[in-house]
Amino acid sequence: MVDLPLTETPAPRRRPALSWAPYVGLVTIGGLLLLWTLASAFGWASPVFLPSPGRVWDAFLRVATEGYANATLAEHIAASLWRVFAALIAAMVVGVPAGLLIATSRVGRGILDPLIEFIRPLPPLAYLPLIIIWFGIGEPSKVLVIAIAMLAPIVISTVSGVRAASDSQIQAARTFGASRWQVIREVMVPAALPSILTGIRIALGAGWTTLVAAELVAATRGLGYMIQSAAQFLVTDMVIAGILVISALATISELGLRYIERRYLPWIGKS
Amino acid sequence: MSSLNLAGVSLHYGPEQTGLPVLQNVSLNLARGEFISVIGRSGSGKTSLLNLAGGFVAPSAGRVTVDGKPVTGPGPDRAVVFQDDALYPWRSVRDNVALPLKLRGIDAATRAEKAREWLAAVGLQDHQDKHVWQLSGGQRQRVGLARALASEPEFLLMDEPLGALDAMTRDQMHELLLSLWEESHAGALLITHSVEEAVFLSTSVIVLAPTPGRIVHREEFEFGRRYLEGEDPRALKSEPEFIDARERLLAAIYEKELVDG
Repeated sequence: MVDLPLTETPAPRRRPALSWAPYVGLVTIGGLLLLWTLASAFGWASPVFLPSPGRVWDAFLRVATEGYANATLAEHIAASLWRVFAALIAAMVVGVPAGLLIATSRVGRGILDPLIEFIRPLPPLAYLPLIIIWFGIGEPSKVLVIAIAMLAPIVISTVSGVRAASDSQIQAARTFGASRWQVIREVMVPAALPSILTGIRIALGAGWTTLVAAELVAATRGLGYMIQSAAQFLVTDMVIAGILVISALATISELGLRYIERRYLPWIGKS
Repeated sequence: MSSLNLAGVSLHYGPEQTGLPVLQNVSLNLARGEFISVIGRSGSGKTSLLNLAGGFVAPSAGRVTVDGKPVTGPGPDRAVVFQDDALYPWRSVRDNVALPLKLRGIDAATRAEKAREWLAAVGLQDHQDKHVWQLSGGQRQRVGLARALASEPEFLLMDEPLGALDAMTRDQMHELLLSLWEESHAGALLITHSVEEAVFLSTSVIVLAPTPGRIVHREEFEFGRRYLEGEDPRALKSEPEFIDARERLLAAIYEKELVDG
């Protein structure tokens, strides 16, 4: 055995992200808040259209403690979170295998690709009535409406993720005697994970967007329902409070996904 | 002695009538214990030759066999070291090397042990738990080599594995490659751009000429064996014989270009 001196320097680590970047975001948010406060303080807009930040905060406290529209904020949030994440799981259970089929089989592509392209551009409000006619007004319909909106991003990101596996990575597995299924499991799925995670992020965005539509009919709980109830009585402060809660939840789930990405997919961006 | 044989192999991409073949009537026999290098200019079909031997493509004419049995696809008897290392960044260095063993159904403890041994054999015993991207280019190619050898192949097929490395690292890799080749008793097929590398490592060098890819020169050498018997690699590479051989092969590579015009 030859003795190899290990003199080569390992690849340098990537430069860390610029540290002032988060402050720019904070300044933007602060600026908007200031503008909002000024606008309501100087009466640039009627309080019905634009209540002051203080009134929105009061509305937030009111729904958090006493509740609004038959439920407390926690119950509204729980109902909505459940719908969005149940839909996400359903969309992944269907979407990831569908994406793998499209990426690895000509027959799968022939059958599934047109279906996905058909579903992709449909606005949720357009298929909502159909879902209600078919599946009733219960909880499954609400989850289904959101899941349909989430399906396409997950399928498409899975398909493009599988392509991230290089020819030689696939060929290498085949020279080790990997079966078709083993190539999918050991090479294509792991190679696709970064892209699938991006798909999940886009899907969650679509999910929150669709939430209000899903809670349009026969809901008694949920943030979308809460916002619509408030809107019917022109309780604008409550509408804005609801919007801000949705936005906060979406931000938290996005941060959670970024954490998962850093923790479990550390190879992203490093080849 | 088992051998990998290409007999009168031609390869067309696409329909046979359109254009010249990538390879035309190429024959070679790689026995275990031999080291064949294939050199030639770009477009002479070097990588196609390796793809045929690896079973990634089927010949348009002729036969590719291992011990007389036709090759129908890639298999663990013919391990491949790729030009880009083809490592899996989602697996640790050790788990990359252990993958061939996992696919063969070997239990986790045994394959971890075997992977450790192969990594030690390429001088990477201290890097097992690292991520692939934390290694340098030369270290990554050594992982690729350890992974190929972990499947205990009869034949080791290498597609310009050292092409991207700096000269010093290449020299180290040559010596490592020869030691591992001797220890594993595998038959080695190396595709390379470097004439010097081919002359130093191989028992036999094949020169391919382009359009259509065909063998125009074969020659046998002893420098690698002499290195393994203890001679100094730098002394070997500066022998007149070595320099003559290098010039002869360079002439063979470029001669055809002048004739074809």
